[in-house]
Amino acid sequence: MIASLRRSLSIYGAIASMAAKARLAYNMWVWADFVVTIVSMIVFVYFWRAVYAGTSTLNGLGLSQTITYILLARLLSPLVESRTIFYFGFMIRNGEIAVELTRPLDFQLRIGVQTMAELLVFLFQRLPLFLLAWLFFGMRLPSDPALWAVFFISLTLGQGVIFLFDWMFACLAFYVTETWGLSVVRVGTGSFFSGALVPLVMMPGWLQNVAAAMPFAQALSVPLSLLSGISPLNGAPRLLLIQAAWLAGLFVLSRGIFDVAVRKVTVQGG
Amino acid sequence: MPIIEVDHLSKVFKVQRKDPGLKGAIKALFQPKYEDKTAVNGISFGIDAGEMAGYIGVNGAGKSTTIKMLTGILLPSGGSVRVLGRDPHRERVANAREIGVVFGQRTQLWWDLAFTESLNMVAKIYQVPQVRYKQLLDQFAETLELKELMDVPIRNMSLGQKMRAELAATLIHEPRVVYLDEPTIGLDLIVKERIREFIKQQNQDKGTTVILTTHDLGDIEELCRRVIIIDAGLLIYDGPIETIKKRFGKYREISFETPAASAHVDLPPGAEITLVEARKMTVRFDRTTTTASQVAAALMNQLEVTDFSLTEPDLASIIKQIYNGALGEELEA
Repeated sequence: MIASLRRSLSIYGAIASMAAKARLAYNMWVWADFVVTIVSMIVFVYFWRAVYAGTSTLNGLGLSQTITYILLARLLSPLVESRTIFYFGFMIRNGEIAVELTRPLDFQLRIGVQTMAELLVFLFQRLPLFLLAWLFFGMRLPSDPALWAVFFISLTLGQGVIFLFDWMFACLAFYVTETWGLSVVRVGTGSFFSGALVPLVMMPGWLQNVAAAMPFAQALSVPLSLLSGISPLNGAPRLLLIQAAWLAGLFVLSRGIFDVAVRKVTVQGG
Repeated sequence: MPIIEVDHLSKVFKVQRKDPGLKGAIKALFQPKYEDKTAVNGISFGIDAGEMAGYIGVNGAGKSTTIKMLTGILLPSGGSVRVLGRDPHRERVANAREIGVVFGQRTQLWWDLAFTESLNMVAKIYQVPQVRYKQLLDQFAETLELKELMDVPIRNMSLGQKMRAELAATLIHEPRVVYLDEPTIGLDLIVKERIREFIKQQNQDKGTTVILTTHDLGDIEELCRRVIIIDAGLLIYDGPIETIKKRFGKYREISFETPAASAHVDLPPGAEITLVEARKMTVRFDRTTTTASQVAAALMNQLEVTDFSLTEPDLASIIKQIYNGALGEELEA
């Protein structure tokens, strides 16, 4: 048991470091990404300042809190623009899926580990932007270590939730082979209901309910609301439990769906 | 006792049929029409441990589909497959540990990483012990000439280099069964020769079972004693390569480019001129009575030759001849 766990750790650890290296091979894009993100932060900051011009609070949120939330959301929004669906479609279309399925690995775990490693590299690459947002755009970050710990746990759980959800969506690629449309629908709904554009608490009640029924908020809105102080720390255990429940449910469901979908594999060409 | 058992294996794909043009595309959106395409149609065979079998057919014959069912990627529509006693689709991961697969058109290596790193990764995934890994790497590096490739990322490799790298990565965990799907496609003769040598060595030293799909009859002749020919999803021949060779490989053709093409040349017995054009002539010869070098030497003694090439008998024409009953007498005998 322990031996097999150690073996898995060493295998999937190697996959993670490999994915990180592969991601770092494309360093050029980091600079382009910096420019685009800085512009988007400026736009969002001015937009929200204009909104707050005639009022000091909006749905109970002050300007500073909203700006902090929105800047974090801008910096972390790529976390809900998962590429799993696109990647699946790509693998199926070019036949790479054949190679993947002949490796003695749990396919879901392998892709999951790779995705998480890439996200981690991405976060590190964006650190300078966090600094920038903190120095010049008025992002206020807490100093309570407990809050940071809760934030990172919540972010990790949330990323797991969104990955498993995308995994189920991506399994549709086995049936339709065309995933561009799927991807567009997913990213559009994702950015809106994850709270990447507007804090969810500002939405009308019924829309908040819709958002709560979807998994996207777990990935972004929940951890960010904690970090920006919109959700109080004493409510954190409940929020983390909800995230864990999502994770467990989607884990079972996504594995079942993959087992069925993989029977539909058709490998194009060759 | 065969270690690969294929029994009445079939695979039917559902293919969407669209009428041409935008109108057809829109119609297909609302009323999709599907038709069944049978890629593999009731094939049965068994492969023994340590055997090297050629699995051949023209493009679209169903070779790759069969291989994909053997490796567990595709689920058969009918019949059954067992590899080393397992159902490869249901026990995909367990099966994957004991097999190696080369898809000639794809790579299992990481595009952006240096070959060494990719190879380390593969060794890790298959849990090859460090000491054994070093040993094998030394062996492989020699036969496949990998030394100068070690630090090259896969994306910068030529086709031949890539295939050598691919083979090393496929065999580094010493799989019991290896599927090679078009391993020599598009490669030059020297690389082909090296790759064939390597495969032969693995088979002899370790008793690795090899199934080789190709449409290069040269590969088969070099490596396999047994050949399975399929066409349009049906098995049309399963037997010794000798039979095929005797019947179809008896004649070869050499084309010469020469400024002085002439029908009046002395040739060794068994060779005859089949074509004379302005700057080109073709000689057909019986391999059982003479050799390519004898024919070429005889001609070059008499004429100035700027270039020449040897043509292999082509698979499509052999298959056509099998249909026309060409193997009738041999199969009955």
